[in-house]
Amino acid sequence: MKVLLLAGLLAACQQAPPPPPAPVAQNGYGATERAFVELAIATDEQALKLLDLTDRSELKENRNIELTELRKLLDAPYVNNHAGHDMPGMPTDAEIQLASTSPDALDQFVRTHLTESLEVVRSAGSAITHPPTAEVVKLMERHRTAELAAG
Amino acid sequence: MRKPLFHIAAVIGLIATALSIPVAAQGEPVRVAEFLAECPISHRLPDDPIVLPNLAGASHMHDFFGNHSTNARSTQQSLEGQTGNCNPAADISSYWVPTLYRDNTAIAPTGVTFYYLGEGVNNPAAIQPTPYGLKIVAGNAKATGDADSIARWSCLHAGHVNPSKNFVTCPAGTMLETYLDFPQCWDGRNLDSADHKSHMSYPVAGGCPSSHPVSVPKLRMVLRYPVNGSTAGLRLASGTGQTMHGDFFNVWPRAEMERRVRNCINVVIKCDHNGNHG
Repeated sequence: MKVLLLAGLLAACQQAPPPPPAPVAQNGYGATERAFVELAIATDEQALKLLDLTDRSELKENRNIELTELRKLLDAPYVNNHAGHDMPGMPTDAEIQLASTSPDALDQFVRTHLTESLEVVRSAGSAITHPPTAEVVKLMERHRTAELAAG
Repeated sequence: MRKPLFHIAAVIGLIATALSIPVAAQGEPVRVAEFLAECPISHRLPDDPIVLPNLAGASHMHDFFGNHSTNARSTQQSLEGQTGNCNPAADISSYWVPTLYRDNTAIAPTGVTFYYLGEGVNNPAAIQPTPYGLKIVAGNAKATGDADSIARWSCLHAGHVNPSKNFVTCPAGTMLETYLDFPQCWDGRNLDSADHKSHMSYPVAGGCPSSHPVSVPKLRMVLRYPVNGSTAGLRLASGTGQTMHGDFFNVWPRAEMERRVRNCINVVIKCDHNGNHG
C-alpha cells in the first residue's frame, strides 16, 4: 500500500506544472486527422446504404473511392465510434428505412447527407494539416460540391 | 440495481475511524466524502473537443455545462482563465452529454449536479486531486443494449419506478433523471488516451488496479430532465437511453481541487458548494 501511495504521490507531483499538449509531429497524422478519418469512414459507409436506394451511381462511386483513400490513412484497425449516432451528414437507420418507402424522403435525405457532410468536410479542411489527409478532404469537398450542383 | 449508498458511506466512515483520520470537531459533520458543483446548461453545439478535436460541427449534438467557452477547439490552455456557470464559480471545468430529444425537440436538463465522491475505494485518505487537464469519458456511446451499457435512468420523487439502463416512464409530477459514474483510477501518466478511456479505470474490489494506481475522486453526474410520461419519441443524439455518456475536462483551479480533496474527500466529510463543512 505504501508503494502504491508513493507512486500516486509521485505521479501527482509530476503532473504539476501542467504537461505540454500531447506531442503531435507538425503536419503529422494526429488526433484530429484520426478522428476525421474514422468519422468520414463511418459516414460514407452509412451513406452508401441510403445511396443504394437511388439510381445515382456517381454518388456511390465517389463514396467508394473516398472509402478506399480513407482506409489507406488508418494507422490502427478501424473502429466505428459513431454507429447509431445522429451525426451531421450521416443518415440514421430510421431515415434509411423511411427513404426506402418514400421517394420524397429519399431525395431529402440524400441532399441532407451532401449538405451536412460538406460542412463537416469544410470544417476538417481548416483543421487538418497532415498533407495526405488534407488531399482526401479536398477530394471529398470536390465530390460533394459537384454532386450538389448535379441535383 | 440500486446502489447501497448509505451502506457504503457507513463502511467508509468506519474505515476512516479505524484509520484515525482527523475529523472536524464542531457540529456533527455528515460522514460522506463529497463535494459538488452544480452547473446548468451553458450552451449547445455539435462539437466534441475530446472525441472530434478541432472538427467544429462534426459531432452529434451536445449539451455543455460549466465553462462557457467549450467548443471543438478547446484545450486546457483555451479553457483556463475563462468563466463558467457552475456553483461554485471556481469550477470552470467542462462537462458535456448528448442532447436529449423528444421527437425533434431538444430538452435541456434543469438540474445538473456533479458530485465528487470518496466512495468506491477502501482508502479515501489516499485519494489524490484530479489531475489538472485530465479528460474522462464515461458511459458507452456505442451501447447496443443493456449488456454493454452502464447508463441508469430513474425518476426523481418516484423511487418505486425501477431504474433502467434505458428511459423509464416517470409518473406525472416527477422528473426523469440519469446517473453516470466516471472511472476514478488514473494511470498516473496520461491526461487522455487514443480511445479516451484506457488512461482511466474503475476500481476493483475497493482499490485501484496496479495498471491505474492513482485514485482520484469519483465523479458522479446527476441530470434531471423536465420529462415524464411516455418514453415514446425520447432519444439521445447518440441513440437510445443506453448510449448515455458524459465527458469531463478538468479545469478546476489546482488549489481549489486540492483543498476540497483534503478537506472533504480524504477525511470523509460532506462539503458544501464552497468546499466547506459545518
